[in-house]
Amino acid sequence: MVLPYTLQNTSSLEMARARRGMLLQCDPSIRALIVQIDAQHNDIILEELDDTHLLVDPSKVEFIKHELNRLLSKNIYNPMEEEEEQ
Amino acid sequence: MSADHLRHSVNQYLEELPQPVQIRLYESPATCLAIYRLLPQLAKFFMMSMVFNENFILLRDLDRWVKSNGKLQFQEAIKSLKSLHLITPKKNENGALMIGLNSTFRESFKNALTGGQVNNSFGVVIESDSIAMDILNEYSSSKWETILHFMVGTPMASIPSANVLNLLKNSRLMEETESTAEFKITNEGFQFLLQEANAQIWTLLLQYLKMAESFQMDPVDILNFIFMLGALEVGKAYSTKELSDTQQNMLKDMRDYGLVFQKNADAQVFYPTNLAIMLTSDNKNIHRTASNALDSVVQKNKEGAATESAGTMGDDLDDVALQGQPIQDGALIVETNFKLYSYSNSPLQIAILSLFVHLKSRFANMVTGQITRESIRTALTNGITAEQIIAYLETHAHPQMRRLAEENLEKKLELDPNTKDTLQILPPTVVDQIRLWQLELDRVICYDGSLYSDFENSTEFNLLSKYAQDIGVLLWKDDKKRKFFVSKEGNSQVLDYAKRKLNKK
Repeated sequence: MVLPYTLQNTSSLEMARARRGMLLQCDPSIRALIVQIDAQHNDIILEELDDTHLLVDPSKVEFIKHELNRLLSKNIYNPMEEEEEQ
Repeated sequence: MSADHLRHSVNQYLEELPQPVQIRLYESPATCLAIYRLLPQLAKFFMMSMVFNENFILLRDLDRWVKSNGKLQFQEAIKSLKSLHLITPKKNENGALMIGLNSTFRESFKNALTGGQVNNSFGVVIESDSIAMDILNEYSSSKWETILHFMVGTPMASIPSANVLNLLKNSRLMEETESTAEFKITNEGFQFLLQEANAQIWTLLLQYLKMAESFQMDPVDILNFIFMLGALEVGKAYSTKELSDTQQNMLKDMRDYGLVFQKNADAQVFYPTNLAIMLTSDNKNIHRTASNALDSVVQKNKEGAATESAGTMGDDLDDVALQGQPIQDGALIVETNFKLYSYSNSPLQIAILSLFVHLKSRFANMVTGQITRESIRTALTNGITAEQIIAYLETHAHPQMRRLAEENLEKKLELDPNTKDTLQILPPTVVDQIRLWQLELDRVICYDGSLYSDFENSTEFNLLSKYAQDIGVLLWKDDKKRKFFVSKEGNSQVLDYAKRKLNKK
């Protein structure tokens, strides 16, 4: 994903580079979930920036959202189901 | 509030008409009377003082009638009269500004008031024919409720006519899903359901006008007809012979909305319904909408001297209950366990509730249901916002809930007179959870852009990150790791800057 515009003009800046991606901002719990999704599917997270920020592949954002919804829905207490069982 | 809003939208439409069209409108006495009714209060007063006075009068004289704290209303009144071209300004020999009433309007308005030459603009009554009121009421309410029910998605045998569907789609109150060709309510549509009936009718009619213009129908004919409908008497029969061709065509559409009734498609007479009468009247005592409760609340509001903005509505509900009047239809109780009980018989109320509540059982005078994550999420994905749901629940809260909330607040005030707590009619857990469910839909926020990294020294890092921050494109940075993230829009600027600055070294 390194784009052609690396800033290699001066010797001191040989390594500096700009990398395209999607910055995801979320709370730490969601971040942990995304890391978990990445562990299963790979190639989602390009870089882990800090507790609340991740750099991810722009084409995978929809997939991440979908997976998140699926994982979060598992943890929802649904009062209707319980009543139906009674 | 909503009545003001309605006036605003109708007046706005009239004001935007080109002047020649406005003048042609003023040829109809019934239209003049209806426009007069839509004017601000102070403007009505000025009109009355000018209508039998043929001479121009000094604007300064009108100004003298107004107290200094009413200058804003004065300006508004004059502005609305001017933009409707009801008054024409001119300067007298001393250079003072004079105004006079538009002569066409003056003549028609005089005729409307005195019953002079009204030229059939108030319809032609056929005395020999009449119709029972209950047939009319039943017809208009079934037509109108079919539209409202269709909007909330009640499964029904009858759906509104193709014209109505087209209108709903064009006014963006509903959307057609491409894959299934099904109609779905939009955010605006939900807002529409909360309005009072005459605001709803006007919303649809204004949209009708906009569509009619594209069919080359004359807006003057249409407006005259609409305003005429508002001036007719319910229960009487009116002849269709005097109507223009455009107006004859309109009859069919007006039938679809429930504004007029005809015994058969090519009958020579039509009967206006109570919906039509509402068009130009302020009377909101017709309980056909989801928001009839809101109306009574707003009216009572003026009497009450309640302080908290959130609290005022419930106060008035108390008044309603104390005065021995029946509790509003659809009064509901929400418990902290998210269970909801609504005392409603109206299928429409129930249908609206079903947009965001999982309804379980229906009894003779109430329905019970549960607010669940799924039910709220369905509503949210349909474009209804959490705030709209909360506002709906709050305005329809049962007086009992209100009383409980007031008692709680009083207790808190006794303990701590300075408490900043406001009246909480709904259980805070429920309100918070509904908001959280909305937030949950967007658990991650995404920004497209570029990550800058691998800087050799902090000078270069600081130079670039500070520039990005200054032009407002910096979204994230970490000084220790010497990395920062720039939005897509700002990236080229930062790159240019980097090349310029770093090359100079």
